[in-house]
Order: sequence, then C-alpha cells, then structure tokens
Amino acid sequence: MTQARILVVDDEPQIQRFLKPALSAAGYDVIEAATGAEALKAVATAAPDLVILDLGLPDMDGKDVIASLRGWSTIPIVILSARDRESEKIAALDLGADDYVEKPFGIGELTARIRSALRHRGKAETAPTVMVADDLTIDTVRRLVSRNGEPIRLTPKEYDLLTLLGRHAGRVVTHKTLLTSAWGPAHGEDLHYLRVFIGQLRQKIERDPTRPTIVRTEPGVGYRLVVD
Amino acid sequence: MADDDRTTQRRPDPDALLALAGKDGRGKLTVFLGAAPGVGKTYAMLARARRLRADGVDLVIGLVETHGRSETAALLDGLDVLPRMRVPHRGRMLEEFDLDAALARRPHIVIVDELAHSNPEACRHPKRYQDIEELLGAGIHVWTALNIQHLESLGDLVADITGVIVRERVPDVVLKRADEVLLVDLPPSELIERLKEGKVYLPENAGRAADRFFRLGNLTALRELALRRTADRVDDQMVDYLKQNAIEGPWASGERMIVCVGADTLSEKVVRVASRLASGLNAPWIVVSVERADREAEGRAGIEQIERIFRLAEQLGGETRRVIGTDFVEEILKLARREHATQIVIGAPRGKGWGRSWSKGERPFWSQSLPDALASRASGLGIHLVTGDREEVRASKSIRRLPVLSRAGLIQAALVAVPLVTLATGTGVAIDRIMHLPNISLLFLLAVLGAAVTAGYAAALIAVILSALCYNFFFIAPFYTFTIAAPHEVFALIVFFAVAVIAGGFASRIQEQAETARVRATALQSLYDFSRRLAGTEKAEDAIWAAVSQMQASLRRNVVLLTPEGADLKIAAAWPPDTELDVTDMTAARWAQDKQEKAGHGTGTLPNSRFEFRPLSSPHGVVGVCGVEQTTERLDVNAERALAAILDQTALAIDRARLSEASVAQAARLEGERYRDALLSSISHDLRTPLATITGSVTSLRQLGDRMSPESRDDLLQSIEEEGSRMSRFVANLLDMTRIEAGTLKAKRDWVDVADVVQTAVERTRKYFPGRIIETGIASDLPLIEGDSVLLGQVLFNLLDNAVKYGGDEPINVYARRDDQDVLISVTDLGKGIPPDDIDRVFEKFYRRGKPDGRAPGTGLGLSIARGFIEAMGGRIHAESPAVKKRGTRIVMRFATTTAPTRTPGGPSTSGRPA
Repeated sequence: MTQARILVVDDEPQIQRFLKPALSAAGYDVIEAATGAEALKAVATAAPDLVILDLGLPDMDGKDVIASLRGWSTIPIVILSARDRESEKIAALDLGADDYVEKPFGIGELTARIRSALRHRGKAETAPTVMVADDLTIDTVRRLVSRNGEPIRLTPKEYDLLTLLGRHAGRVVTHKTLLTSAWGPAHGEDLHYLRVFIGQLRQKIERDPTRPTIVRTEPGVGYRLVVD
Repeated sequence: MADDDRTTQRRPDPDALLALAGKDGRGKLTVFLGAAPGVGKTYAMLARARRLRADGVDLVIGLVETHGRSETAALLDGLDVLPRMRVPHRGRMLEEFDLDAALARRPHIVIVDELAHSNPEACRHPKRYQDIEELLGAGIHVWTALNIQHLESLGDLVADITGVIVRERVPDVVLKRADEVLLVDLPPSELIERLKEGKVYLPENAGRAADRFFRLGNLTALRELALRRTADRVDDQMVDYLKQNAIEGPWASGERMIVCVGADTLSEKVVRVASRLASGLNAPWIVVSVERADREAEGRAGIEQIERIFRLAEQLGGETRRVIGTDFVEEILKLARREHATQIVIGAPRGKGWGRSWSKGERPFWSQSLPDALASRASGLGIHLVTGDREEVRASKSIRRLPVLSRAGLIQAALVAVPLVTLATGTGVAIDRIMHLPNISLLFLLAVLGAAVTAGYAAALIAVILSALCYNFFFIAPFYTFTIAAPHEVFALIVFFAVAVIAGGFASRIQEQAETARVRATALQSLYDFSRRLAGTEKAEDAIWAAVSQMQASLRRNVVLLTPEGADLKIAAAWPPDTELDVTDMTAARWAQDKQEKAGHGTGTLPNSRFEFRPLSSPHGVVGVCGVEQTTERLDVNAERALAAILDQTALAIDRARLSEASVAQAARLEGERYRDALLSSISHDLRTPLATITGSVTSLRQLGDRMSPESRDDLLQSIEEEGSRMSRFVANLLDMTRIEAGTLKAKRDWVDVADVVQTAVERTRKYFPGRIIETGIASDLPLIEGDSVLLGQVLFNLLDNAVKYGGDEPINVYARRDDQDVLISVTDLGKGIPPDDIDRVFEKFYRRGKPDGRAPGTGLGLSIARGFIEAMGGRIHAESPAVKKRGTRIVMRFATTTAPTRTPGGPSTSGRPA
C-alpha cells in the first residue's frame, strides 16, 4: 500500500513539530502548511489524501478554507479544534468537514480518525451492505437489523437514522445532518425529535441503553456509529 | 333605543357589570341619612355596631360625636374607640379623626360620624368625605352619618326653605356611590319635642338660627327631601339590579342631558336645577361651556367662574366639557347629537336688551338670544329654560365687561383715540381752508379705524364719540357749536355714527384676532422650541432641567421636579435651585406619585402645601412628580394648557432617556461579556496549545516511538520540556495577575541595585533566546532604589520577552541612567512599534498586538503585570512609540531615589555589580 499523504495545516510550530514525526512514524507522508492560503495551494499542487486542519489560522478562518476546498474537492478533512469553539466545530462539519479531534488529543485518537476518514474516501455515500457493530448486524440489502441472529423490529424512521449513521460509520454525523436527512430541511433545529428517536433506537439496539456503545453521543455536535 | 334594547335583550348590561367590578377590593360605604340633627343617626349607627360587635365583627369607632347625650355615650361602652388626633388650629387644639391610625389599624368596619365635616388645615384632606374615600380605597368598610341639608345639589333649596345657608356641603356623588343608605326617620313633631326636652345638641352661638331652623314647616320639608332622596336611591338600585340580571323592565329613561353654562352667576343655578332634574330623570348629564375659537376665552374672572361651575357640576355627579367653536348653537347641537342627548338645559335671563344678549357667549347684539336660537334649530330635543332675575344677569354682565373696560384700559384707549381724532380734526380744518370737501366725515372714519386697529374696541368707541362731537362742532353749520341747523346734517351724523361703530367693531375684532393669534403662536413656538430641546437631550437629568426652566419661564412660578430614587422621591431639579420641601409638601408629592392624581395646593389632598403636585405619567408608569408653587392668582387656561403639554413631553423625554440609559447599560454589559469571552478563549488557547503539544508528543512517543529516529524522539522530548516551561510561565503570570488584582501583592522595601537586577534579567533572557542581541548601557553613578529586586527582575524579563517577540530581529537595548533625583530604566526594541491609538491600552490586561481573536503570541499579561509590580514598588511606567527613527517601542520605568542612602561598598544589596 502506498503511503497516504497528509497535509497538516496549523500555525502553531509546536503542533507541527510533534505531528510530523508522529504521523511519519505512523506510516504517512506528511506535508505542512501554516496558513489557509498555503493550505489551498498545497491541496491543489501536492494532491494530499487527507487534510488535518486547525480552525484558527492567522490569515483566514478555517471554515472558509473548508468552504473553498469543498468547492472543488472531496478530500477528507479532519479538524483540530478546541472544546470552547463548539459552534465553529458544528459549522465546519456542516460545511463538509469529515470529522474532528479535540485539542489536546492523543496520537492514537488522531490516527484512528485519519484511518476512518481515509476508508470512506471516494465512497462517502455508499456504505457496505452489511455492517457489524458489537453483536449487532445491519444488513442494508435485506433491510434487516439483528442482534446475535435475533431480528430487531425498527420503525422506518429508526431504520433511516441507523443507516444514515452507518453510511458515515466511525465518523461523527451532526444533529443538523441527521434532522434534515430524516425529517426534511424545515426541521434542522428540532433537536428534541432526534433525542427521542435516538433514545428509542438505543432501547432496541444497545445492550445497555444507559451506557450506549454503538450509537455514541458527541456532546453538542451529533452522533457517531461505532463499527468493528 | 328600542333597537338597542332588543339586541341586548336578556343579556346583562356590560356597563352595569363593569361598575360592579370596579367596586371589588374597595370598602363599602354605608350612610345613615337623616332629615335634621337629632333624629338619632348616631344612635342608630352605634346600636347596629353593637349587634355586629357581639357577632365578633372587627369594628372600630373612628370618631363619634355624642354631643353629651348620655344614651348615645352609653352605647360606646365595649366598642373599640380609636384615640383622636390633636391638631392645632388658629391657636386652639382640636380633636380630629386620626385617618392614619385607622388605616394602620385596618379594621373590617370603621365608624366615622358626620360626613359633611370640614377638617382643619393641618389634616391631609380638607373634607371628611375625602378621608372616607381614602379608607374605602384601602378596602375598609365605612359607616357614616349625614343630614340631608348638607347635600350639595340641595344647597339652594335648603336655603330657600329654611333661610339658613349651609356651608358644609357634601358632593352628591358621595351619596350616589354609597353602597348602602339607611334612612333614620323621626316625625318632625317628635323631633321638636326632643328639642324641647334638651335631648338635641345645639351649639350655643347658633341658638337663634336654630330656633328658626327647627320649625315644623322646615323639618317637614327636609324630611320630604330625605325620603325622596332615599326613594330615588332605592329606585336606582332596583334599576341596577334589573340591568345586572338582565331582567327586562321599564327601567331605562334613556334620557341624556346637555347643560349649557357660561361665565355668569345664573349658570350656577342652571347646574343645580339640572342636577335635580337629572336625578329625577335618572339621566346622565354633561355640562358644556362653549368658547370662541378666535378669542381668548373669557378673561380671568370668567375662567374662574366657569371653573367654579365645572367643579360644582362634577361634585353633583355631572360630566364637564369645554367646546371651542364660533357658532354656539351649532356646537351645542353637535355635542347633543354626538352624545345622543335628549334634553338641553339652558339659562334664560329674564331681562331684555343688552344684558340678555351678553348672557351666553358673545354674539352680535342684533341676533336672537341663544335659547331662542336653540329652540328654532334643535329638532326633537327637549329644552329646559332656567330663568334668572335681573341681578344675576347684571352680575354676569359686569363680569364679562370688566376686564375690557378697566381704568387702565380706558386711559390707554383714550391715549390712542384722542390724538387720532385731534389729528383728523386738524387735517379737516386745514383742508377746509383750502377747498370745500363734501364728505369730510371720512377723515374721522379713518381715525376710528386707526384707533380700532391699534388699541381695540374701547378706543374705537371713544374715537367714534369724539369724532361725532368734533365733526358736529367744526364742520356742521352752525360751526363751533354742538347744534345742527340742517335736518339732513343730522341724518348724515347718524349715518356716520352707525358706520363708524360697525367699522370700528370689525377693525377691532381683526386686531384682537391678530393679537390672539400672536399670543398663541408665541406659546406654540415656545412649546415647539422646548420639544426640540427635549429631543436633543439624552440624559433624563437634562430633560428635567430643561423642563424646569421652561416651566419657570412660561408660568413665572417657582417649580420643583421630583423623581423616584429607590423607594422615595428626591428633588431632581427646582427653581429657585435651593428650593426645599417640608413634610407636607413631600407627602403631597408622594400622594401624587402613588395615586397618579393631583395633590397639594388647590386639590382635595393636603391643600395647605405650597405646591400643586402633578404626576408625570409615561407609558411605563409615573416617572416623576412636578410641583408648581401656587400664589393667590390661579393659572389661566393657557398656562394650564402649556403646563400640561410641558409635563407630557417631559414625561416622555424622561421615559425615553431612562430607556436609552438602560440600553446603554445593557450594551456595556454585552461588551463586557464579549470581552470576557475573548479573554477566556485567549487563556484557554494559551493553556491548551502547550498541553496539546505535550499530550500529542507523549502519546506519539509511547505509541510510535519505536518507529521513530532517535533525533525525532529527542526533538519530541525537548518540545515537551519547552512547552512545560512555557505553561509554567503562563501560569505564573496568571497567578501574579491574580495577586495584583486581589491586592495581596506585597512588594518588599529593600535597597535594590538596579545594575545587578538588569544584568540578571538580561542573562535569563539570553538563555531563553540564544540568538538575540541584547545591548545594555548602565550608568556608573546609579544610586540604589527602594523596592523588590525579585519583582523588578520579573518585570525586566517580561519586557525583554516582549521586545524579543515584537522587535523583529533587531537588537534590543536596555538602559539605566540617572535623571535628576530619579532612576530611569528603559527597554527599547526596533520592531513595528505600537499604533498611537493603542499606546495607552498596552498596559491593560490581555491587550496584545495581533489578531483580535487573541492569537497573537504571548499572553497579554506581561505589561499589565509589569505595571502592577512597578506601582507596587512606588515607581511609574509608561510606553513610548515610535522610539527610534519612526520604529520601535520603548518602555520606561522611573523610580524616585530621594531617600536612598549613598551607595557604599558593603552596604545592602551592592553585591556583584559588574564593572
């Protein structure tokens, strides 16, 4: 397998200083950019496979970088962000970023996100026909969800939500994306619908609905389906 | 009407229900009504009270006059009696009803005898019925007693019947609004018997009048009045009951009355007659006064007369209206149509001729009288004429004409008329010498017109008379006598006279109108200027001062404006500015604020205050109270209008200013919140970046270390070390800042060798930033300064750290030298410098050059910590930029050395200073 090339966009030299050796050691080819303009240029010329993007850049807003990139590229983007900028994080995801990692982060978490994002590269909308999470099996061809071979009866809405999460398996899906896909654009803000349906879904598919392991909550952002 | 009845069929009348709802929460008033003193009202009241008391009702005697009757006094036994209040009055002490004690005691029922009583000046209200009104307003039920002759609308009747004029009168509305009226009745013969037995109290000095009063005829008449009034009330209650319960019945008379009044004494009679008529018809009534639109109302006396009549009408339960128009008949009919009136009551003077024509408003004398005109033009209306006699009309006439024909006015008019007529005569004589002019009288007409235009109607009349005399004397044969030879000349003189009177009348009318218009325009202009001035004010204070000066200027009275401050009122502005309010004034002002009604001088509440207080009402409640000092002269209608307009505008302006002040405060709070957000995000960024580096590096080493080159591993370890120390510096800065802000920073007061400290700080900086050139220049004659060497070292290090960050790659200079008695230390870089706008802000907490999102290097704390430390040591610090050749920043610290000892080897802190 050829080395995936990763563009790291961050203006803090300290971050670059440890990311470069760490990602190289993890088997990636690392190129660096310190500003938004440099980043856009690097994506166009160096053809990286994935971008790690800090939202706070000296020359332009990280969200603008995403918007510009999404105008002509489907390259996976993983965001580095701080917890206190939650709204920015959601805006970035809604603009087309694939995932995010909160600072400070361990390298293991970052590489896991990178792998997940790379896996979906180019086939973002076509999920595998059969997904397995824990002891749960989702068969999208037969429209069957089962645990240990026992079929689970889901309502159409619950099934939609589950497969939507499944299409982005391993990655975060924002509340807004879930709401607009399942209920339509007029319901983008009706968070309480989502809470209720996710709750019902968990009742049916989780082993312990109070401590969910399959449909994880990303506080303030959305949900993530954890697959094996 | 019939249609109305059908549509509202079987449904309760909303007005009736509303009136009922309005009574909720109020106390109930029970009146014990009697025909005369001595019929046993107090006795009846107390007997009933005892029964209720026995049932455990919380009932208190507020005030009862037993007038020494032992049977009545005996009834007081066992009842709670409130102590009376002692009030000084004209050198004597009077015992009065203690309103505040009753309000504080809050009984279920309070008994206050003698509704018609007048309070002495020191009391809050001049009349007892006002005290009772306040008790009712506070939700306390009141029982009281009243003799029928004290009822306002019966004042003239009672005087006619008994020949005694009753001074203490109670407005009819009080009785009308009473929830319960109990008639205490005693046949007159029995009453006279009781009187003879000495059981009826009589004041000694009223002996003879009382003898006249207590006659069988009088008492019978009064008894009839009392019975009738009670019966009317029962009838009203029946109607109310029918209406509220939607029972159809022959209740509604459907009558409405318009009562026309003017500034004459007959009008008072008209109002009283109308009120009796209205209560008989059970009809609402509106008292209306029509003013001419083109003329200043009626003169001062007229205005006061009309106001008196209006007050009387209001007390009798009528509504009052002022209408402005030129055609009196039309205006009255218009109002009648609008109000669906069915009856018109108007005064018809019995006299003929001039007096009659002047009695209602001002009309040319040749037109028919107002009642006649009304009768001919009104269709379907009943017209009641109230006749007066000659005296009443004459009084009214003098009221009307007095202001115009005052002595000063006459002299002034003559001063204009005489020279004009003299001039006309002289000119006429001169022309007559030269040629014969057949109609020389035109010259005199000119003089009359001139007098009319310049000095009004009086001057015109004087000019007419003088002109006629002069014309006759000089120009009608035989000359130089007042006799007239030719009969046609007599005719010519008469025609001249008539023409001159009419022309003079018209001309003076025009002049008066112009004058009126000018006065109005001036008033309007002044109001307009005021509103413009108000619009320009931003603060409530400014609006208040503008209002006070405007009121002072337009009313020529002392004014005071109070605004709420906390729970109380405070003088916000006053003219004269040192005005002080006594307790009575303040109480009246508070009353005006709480009850949203006028209080103080000239009102029913605390009239012995010097000021009349009015609330300033805005859409958001009362924003203040305005007091206008009252003199013996009342404010005229124009001043009243101006005052009302000024107060309205002021209230709005204050309200607006308050709102805008609130919104400014809100904006400041928002700004503060934004600042705090920026601060938090900047601190979190400064803490998180090193943390992220450390966490990332450590996890990388642990998970991927074996796949890295040794150099990479070393580099990661080194970055962990550096970031650790960066964080510890930041945390130390934060702690320093907290200490400065908390005021717990204690600078030591040691002798400090500046050169020593500078060297140490420079060494430390070089260790952190090995590549940077730092030049030092330290004078050799530096004295010691008093301070804390650790703090000073920290400050220097912070300054050097800043210089490294912002100084580009240029060398950094540190100088220390002596300046007179001071020691100056400066750190200079050659970077871009500080923009002039920011030079004062650099010492603020979290100020940093760079992006506003706080992503500049550094913590934004260095300089503010430096200032905190330097000031704690008693020194000063400031920034200069540009420092050298339009570039760079210089931070200068200055320490005083006045008390420093000369530096001697072996002295304190002199160790190790390099040469």
